[in-house]
Amino acid sequence: MNVIRLVNKAKKGSKEALLQLIMAEKDDYYRLALTYLENSHDAMDAMAEMIVKVYENIDQLKKEEAFYSWSKTILVNCCKSMLRKQKRLVLIDDWHTSNPSQEQTSNPYLSSDRQLDIKELLIHLNEQQKEAIQLKYFHDLDYQTIADMTSVSIGTVKSRIFQGLKKLRDHYRGDVSG
Amino acid sequence: MLVDNLEKRLAEEKELNDSIQAPDELEMRLRSALHNAPKKTKRFALSWKIVAVTLFFIILMESQYNAFAFYGKKLFGFDEMINGTLKELNEKGMGQMVGKKTELEDGTELRINGLISDSNQLVVYYTLSNPKGIDDTLSDNFRLSRISGFLTNSNAEGGTSLMNDDHTEIKGTLSFEPVSPFSKKLNLHFWQPLQNDQMTEGSIAIPYNPNKAMAAEFKQSLKKTSKVDKGTITFHSITASPTMTMIKGTLNVENFDRVDTSFGGIELMANGKPVEIMGSSNLSSIKGRKFDIRYNALPKQLNSLELVIKEFAGYQRLEEKISLSSINNGPISLDGKELWIKNVSTTSQGVEITIATDDDVMLDGVSLKTQKEVIPLKTTVNQTYTKQEDGKEVKERTLQFDSTARPEYLLIEGMHYMKVYNKKMEIPVD
Repeated sequence: MNVIRLVNKAKKGSKEALLQLIMAEKDDYYRLALTYLENSHDAMDAMAEMIVKVYENIDQLKKEEAFYSWSKTILVNCCKSMLRKQKRLVLIDDWHTSNPSQEQTSNPYLSSDRQLDIKELLIHLNEQQKEAIQLKYFHDLDYQTIADMTSVSIGTVKSRIFQGLKKLRDHYRGDVSG
Repeated sequence: MLVDNLEKRLAEEKELNDSIQAPDELEMRLRSALHNAPKKTKRFALSWKIVAVTLFFIILMESQYNAFAFYGKKLFGFDEMINGTLKELNEKGMGQMVGKKTELEDGTELRINGLISDSNQLVVYYTLSNPKGIDDTLSDNFRLSRISGFLTNSNAEGGTSLMNDDHTEIKGTLSFEPVSPFSKKLNLHFWQPLQNDQMTEGSIAIPYNPNKAMAAEFKQSLKKTSKVDKGTITFHSITASPTMTMIKGTLNVENFDRVDTSFGGIELMANGKPVEIMGSSNLSSIKGRKFDIRYNALPKQLNSLELVIKEFAGYQRLEEKISLSSINNGPISLDGKELWIKNVSTTSQGVEITIATDDDVMLDGVSLKTQKEVIPLKTTVNQTYTKQEDGKEVKERTLQFDSTARPEYLLIEGMHYMKVYNKKMEIPVD
């Protein structure tokens, strides 16, 4: 698959080319969205929002080869804005959003209690450190992309990962001996 | 050593993460989202950008994909992007111009441009504008909430809004429950943010001409009851208005929410072709559970109409006793449905059994038999969708039991699943 050729087609307005680009790495996008949203419906909603934004803004992408890191940054932003909205929906009780089935779809991972679960260890980190470590180690993203996604400098990303790993090691040691 | 261990755990977690696959329906979802995006034209320098697609419901909307298509239609039912049923009606001049405005706390102007009304819903078209730019706090929190008036109290049901690139204008449409034909003046209530994360409610009076509301083209009482495995579905009425077709009824089915999209399996066939489903909702009340299913408007030339319960939640008693002593890769047949046992492990935390089934299958009355006792299911975790080697997509999850004894059998009392009923009922049309 020739990414640059497809990106150029997408820039000319080809929806099919764009779809092909995204579908080629659909699992990566989906996993990334799940890291933030943790349920399948929301992850797909975020991706639907992303593809529309990518379609509308692809003119602004200067380097065609950077398509994937650029679009994944957009996906992360969509996820975060969905999270903000979800929080708000809970707060305004006039908005009748409570429904019983939400409980089932909320967070299937919360009750996981695997021994020394890495996800539990991650709870010890602050949000930024956790995010940086997840993006680096679970999604194999480079420092520059993580910096773009989280709107901070490369130096900050490196420091978050370093501090995060240090904290994890401390807790890991604690868990093993305790 | 510890350092290596942590790196190893991170690598293991990555491997686990890498095993997650995007669901098959994703492609349809993306295709549909993209399809609904306005075509880019070079002539319009000012391209609209979707900033917020908010769907909020008093009650649960099912069938997300179709619901999106429905509200997507209204999304573009405004301005140069309009299409579909509402556009047709708009072009025929079926809407009502309103042109009322008011100023919000932060100086932004709220203008009610118009509305379109029939016996199923009232759709409001509105604009927020502020030459200095619309603040995120406002765009995130501003909501039209309800319409009051003589014999009228209609809640907002769902809608969509778009912000322009300069962040100076938001245009939106919002659907409300239908209003009384006796109201001449309506009060539209809205919520806006104040400082300190507080919200305040305001209202704007808008004139309403009930004579310009479109009457139902077709309204009929149905009074038809259909039996399904765990109860009955009663259809009370069908109301076909120019903007949509609504079927209302009551439901007394214990397990209807045990499968994802029970109502998605009920089809409305007009002239032998299915009418696009736009969404459904259900609400529990003292008398039972009420539901409505919304379909697109009916074709002008209507020769036949049929309601078909193609699929709905069903239940099958199983009383299965599955030996865990030797698990192989092959599926175990559960009355036509397949069950895979992927892994059985005993840790100090308990017994974990990872299983996979078709997406619509939910096991009921699951317990574990050890040499001494029967242990009920504690919880189910880590539900994901994975693809089998043969390309079939299955729902995988891990069952946890509070036991440290060696598991011998998995006991399953029954299962909920999407059952094919194919029950048809004709609706007479004259």
